[in-house]
Amino acid sequence: MDATTVLADISGSIATVGYGLAAIGPAIGVGIVVGKTIEGVARQPELAGRLQVLMYIGIAFTEALAFIGIATAFIFGY
Amino acid sequence: MSTNTPTSNPVMKRALVWGGLLALVIMVVGAIVGGIVAGWPGVASALVGTALAVVFMGITAASILLANRFAGGDLFVPAFFGIVMGGWLLKLIVFVVLVFVLKAQPWVQPVVLFLSVVAGVIGSLVVDVVVVMRSRMPYASDVQLPVPPKEADDAPR
Repeated sequence: MDATTVLADISGSIATVGYGLAAIGPAIGVGIVVGKTIEGVARQPELAGRLQVLMYIGIAFTEALAFIGIATAFIFGY
Repeated sequence: MSTNTPTSNPVMKRALVWGGLLALVIMVVGAIVGGIVAGWPGVASALVGTALAVVFMGITAASILLANRFAGGDLFVPAFFGIVMGGWLLKLIVFVVLVFVLKAQPWVQPVVLFLSVVAGVIGSLVVDVVVVMRSRMPYASDVQLPVPPKEADDAPR
């Protein structure tokens, strides 16, 4: 086994890397949504209700990606 | 406290109720299709998958409702984001664990389960968008009007 083969050798489940990748994007997205909502509420506390609803929609869409990404465990790999 | 309740509460409650109703519809349709395609494991998988998707998507609205109970307090903003984000983190961890537990079960049909999770997620997104679009929210109703000054006689000197 030469050096290249050894370096390229992966044992175990490569799918777990995919679940990690599936979590990164939504994590960044939800972070931005929540951070911007905090900014908005800090500027105008009386708009908290409206901003919460918009934040809820933003979170729902980004977390849908995470759910579907992690649920792919059912059909791909282990 | 009640005067301070954010105006988002009715919207969240409506999203939860309609999400639950839609979940029932998706469950029935999914169970029928799953039963035709894969027999009883298909039925069970469709029920479990839809329930997972809708419950986990609903936790966001439920956590916002829970967090809004702290409205008006000094710690509202930290408590709100702590509860909402903490709930989010917790539910994703529970979801990953459930995926691996369910995958090992003999009565699960993985493809039906995956498709019903996707259907539940997309369905609850549609419900959320429709509920928010149809909601009427006043612009600045969370504002707290200044209380009128008391009579000069009552004021402590």
